[in-house]
Amino acid sequence: MKRHSLVLVLAVFVCSSLLYAGGLYETTENGKQTLTVYAYDSFVSEWGPGPLIIPKFEEKTGISVNLISAGNGGELLNRLEFERHNPKADVIIGISHELLHETLASQLLEPYQASALSHIPAWLHFDPTYHLLPFNYGNYAFVYDSHAIQNPPTSLDDLLDSQWRRSIILMDPRTSSVGMGLLEWTIAYYGDSYLNWWESIKPNVLTIADGWSSGYGLFTQGEAPLVISYTTSPVYHVLYEDSTRYAAQVFEEGNLAVIEGAGIVASSQNKEAARLFMEFLLTEAQTDIALANIMYPVNTSTILPDAFTYAPKPEKSLMLPSELIAENREQWLREWVEVMSQ
Amino acid sequence: MRTERRVTHRSGTIFDTSRFYRMLSTPAMLLLTFLFIVPLLITLSKAFISTEGTLSFGRIFEMMRDPYTQRILRFTLFQALISTIVSLAIGIPGAYLLVTYSFRGKHIIRAISMIPFVLPSILVVLGFVIFYGNNGILNSVLKQVFNLSEPPIRLLYTFTAVILAHAFYNFPIALGLISSFWEQLPQRYNQAAMTLGAKKWTVFRTITLPRIIPAILSASTLIFLFCFSSFAILLVLGGGPKFTTIEVEIYRRARMSLDIEGAAALSLLSIFVTITLVAIHLWLQRLMIRQEDVEQIQEQRLERKPHTIFGKFIVGAYVIFSIFFVLGPLAGIVYRSFQIPVSRSGDLAFSFDAYRQLFGFKQAPGSFLSIAGSALVTSITIAAITAAISLIIGTMLGARLRTRDKQGNSSLELYAMLPMAVSSVIVGLGYYIITSTLSGGDTLGRTLVILAHVVITTPFVLRSIVPEYRKIPISYSQASLTLGATVSQTFWHVELPLLRPALITGAAFAFALSMGEINATLVLADASIVTVPIIMYRLIGSYNFAGACALGTILIACCAIVFLTTESLRRSHNG
Repeated sequence: MKRHSLVLVLAVFVCSSLLYAGGLYETTENGKQTLTVYAYDSFVSEWGPGPLIIPKFEEKTGISVNLISAGNGGELLNRLEFERHNPKADVIIGISHELLHETLASQLLEPYQASALSHIPAWLHFDPTYHLLPFNYGNYAFVYDSHAIQNPPTSLDDLLDSQWRRSIILMDPRTSSVGMGLLEWTIAYYGDSYLNWWESIKPNVLTIADGWSSGYGLFTQGEAPLVISYTTSPVYHVLYEDSTRYAAQVFEEGNLAVIEGAGIVASSQNKEAARLFMEFLLTEAQTDIALANIMYPVNTSTILPDAFTYAPKPEKSLMLPSELIAENREQWLREWVEVMSQ
Repeated sequence: MRTERRVTHRSGTIFDTSRFYRMLSTPAMLLLTFLFIVPLLITLSKAFISTEGTLSFGRIFEMMRDPYTQRILRFTLFQALISTIVSLAIGIPGAYLLVTYSFRGKHIIRAISMIPFVLPSILVVLGFVIFYGNNGILNSVLKQVFNLSEPPIRLLYTFTAVILAHAFYNFPIALGLISSFWEQLPQRYNQAAMTLGAKKWTVFRTITLPRIIPAILSASTLIFLFCFSSFAILLVLGGGPKFTTIEVEIYRRARMSLDIEGAAALSLLSIFVTITLVAIHLWLQRLMIRQEDVEQIQEQRLERKPHTIFGKFIVGAYVIFSIFFVLGPLAGIVYRSFQIPVSRSGDLAFSFDAYRQLFGFKQAPGSFLSIAGSALVTSITIAAITAAISLIIGTMLGARLRTRDKQGNSSLELYAMLPMAVSSVIVGLGYYIITSTLSGGDTLGRTLVILAHVVITTPFVLRSIVPEYRKIPISYSQASLTLGATVSQTFWHVELPLLRPALITGAAFAFALSMGEINATLVLADASIVTVPIIMYRLIGSYNFAGACALGTILIACCAIVFLTTESLRRSHNG
C-alpha cells in the first residue's frame, strides 16, 4: 500500500515537472539588440501599457525589449541600488516626482533631453536636470458614488462636514502612495496646520486601507460613498463598464498632482536604443499608456477617447518640492500616526 | 517518565549515529541555508551600518528605545495572542467533533476550511466586506427580513473584525493539525478510564488533553507567527493606524521610504522576538511529547454518530457555524464575480461577463490557453511540485529531528523553523539580492520560485510531521532493526506508513500556501511567471474587481476539488 502511494506521489511529481519543463523553452533570437526595461508591476501586467507598447516599439525599431516587473517606485530604486555593481537595466519606468531628490542623490541615472519634451507643458518638467522625464501624470481626487450623493463636497474643508460621518475611505500614507498623496495635499494647502484637518476628519472616516486596491474595492462594494483616488478614475467605469455612476470632484483649492517619470540608467551599454525608447514613450506610446494606466498623457498632441471628458481637470495642480518631502517625510508620518491613532 | 527518557536517549543513539538519517537531512539544510539564511543575513547586516557608513549598534539601540516601536511591538504581540486564542477556541472543539463523531459534511468541513489559505489577503478582505459589510450580503438580508433602514450588524472596522478575520484564516491550522494528531491516539486509555468510572470531561482533562498538547502547541505557534506578520487585514478591517503592527513599519521603511537600514534594524528586533517564541515552543514541545503505542494499522477508531439530542445539537451547531463562518466570505467572493454593472447608471446585476472576459482574453504567449487558464495551470503545477518537494524535505528533516535529547537537534529544528519567523518583506529584499547577483533566463526564475516556495512551506510540513514522528515508539523501530531490517528499510516500511495522515495534512498545507504565495513569486520571477494570485492583484490594480473575484471563484473551486481528494485519500487510509 505505502509503496503504491509513494509511486503515486513520485509519478505526480515527475509528470508535473515534465509538463512544466515543456514550457521552459525560451525563444531568444540572436544578433538582435536587446533593451532591458525595469517598470513597476502594473505597467508590465497583462492589463498595463507594457503589452500594448512593447510590440509596437519592437516592430518600429527592430530592437527587442525585455520588460521586467520590479516592484513600485521605491523598490525600483532599491533594485538599481542593489545592482549597482552588476547592472542589468537600461531604462526604468515609474519613479514619481516625489522621489526625485533620492533619485538624483543616488546618481544611478543619466540626463537626457528628449526632443519630445517640447510637446510637454513646462509645469510637468519636474526634473530640471532631465534625469527623470515625465511620461504620465494624474491628480488625486475624491471620487463619489452618485447613487448615494447628490451634492458632493467641493473642498477639503467641505469634507469635514458632519453629514459625511463614517462616509470616507482613505489610505494609509505609510503603505500607499495615494495615501501619501492626500497627506501631501493637506500639507500643500494648509501648511503647518495640516494636522487640524486630520484631527477633524476622523469621525467622517470609515476606514484607512493599506492600499488603493483594497480601499477602492470597499468603495465600489458600497461600503462608503467617498474615496480618495484620481480625477481619472471615472474614465475606467465609462470605458470598460459603460457606467457614469462614479464621478470625481475637482476641489476649489486645487488637487495634488503626481507625475511619473522614466529615465536612462547611467551604466547602460545600450544608450542609443534607450534614447529611442524614451522618445517613443513620450510620443507614440502616449495614448496606450493613458488608456491602460487611466492617467493623463503628458504629450499635449495625444488624442484621447471621449471617455476622458469624464475626468475633470483641476484649475490648479498642487505639488510639494521633492527636497521638502525627502526632508520631512519621516516627521510628517510620525505626526500623522500620532494624531490618527488616538 | 524517568525510565522512558533514559530508554529513549540510549536507543536514540541508533538514529543519531546512523548515516542514513544524517544524510536525509543534509540537502534540506543546504537548501535552507543558501536560499534563505544567506540572503537574510546580507539584508539584516545592513542594520549595523550607521548613517556615516561605519559599523555600529546605534541604529538597533535607538530602535529599541523608541516609544513608538515599543508601542507597536506590544500591540503586535497582543493582537497575535488574542487571535491565536480565538482560533484555538474555534479549532479545538472542531477537532474534537471531527475525531469523535461521524456525521455528514465532516469531510467537506475539513476540505473547505483549507481554502482561505490559497486566497491573497486582499481577496479575503473583500470577501469579508462583501459578506459582513454595512452594504454586505448579511446586512442586506437582515434589513429585508426585519424591514430595517440601518444595517443591524456593525462588525467591521473594529478590533473584533480583525480577530474574526484572523480566525477565519487560521483556525483551519488548529483544526487540521490537532485533529490529524488526535486521530492517531490509541483509545485504550480512554476506554480504561471510562471502565473505571471516569466521566467524559475527566477523561478529556486527564488523558486526552495532556496527550494532544504537542499538536496544540504546534498549531498555536504557527497561528501566532502568521498573525504577528499580518497587516493588510489589520489596517483595512481594523479601521486605520490605531492597529499598527511591526510589519507595517517594516513595509513602509523597505518599500516606501527607501530606508533599508531601518527596515533591517526593525526586523532584527522582530526576528529576535519571534525566535524567542519559537524556541520556547520547541522547548515546551520536547518537554510534553509522549510516545504512544500507535495502533491505527490494526484497529480502526470508533467514530460514532451523535446519539443524544444534545450531541446532535452541538454537532449541528458547529457544522452550521463553521460553514457559515468560512463559506460566508467565500460566498461573498463568488457572489461579487457575477455582479456586473449593466446600465449607464451603474446598477449591478447578475452576469457571466467577468468569466467571459477572463477566458476571452488574448492567449498567453506559447500556450493555447487564455492568460487566466495558463496562470491556473502554472499555479497548480508550482504548488504540486512545491508540495512534493517540501513533503520529502520535511520528512527527511523530521526523521532526523525525532530524537529529542540531543542539543544539536534543538538548534537544527529552530533553524528549520526560521522562515516562519521572518517578515515576508525582509525575505523579499533578500530575494532581490539573489536576483541581482544571478543572471539567467526564465528557467532560473522558475527554479528559484519553486525553491522559495519550498522554503516557505517546509516549516508547515515539519510542524505537522515532527509531533507525529515523535509519537512513534522507538521500540517499533528497534523491533524492526532487531529482526534484521536495515535502517533505511525501517524508515520506508515501518515509520513512513505510520506518518501517512500527517504527511497528507502537511502536503495539503504546503499546496495551499504555495497556491496563495505572491511576494516571493513577484520578486523572483520578474513577471515571467504569472500565477493566479498575481493575476488577481493585477486585475484589482486595474479596477477589475469582478474579474478578480471570478478568478478567485475558479481558484476556490479548484482547491475545493484538490482538498476533497486529499480528504478521501485520508479516509481510505483510516477506513
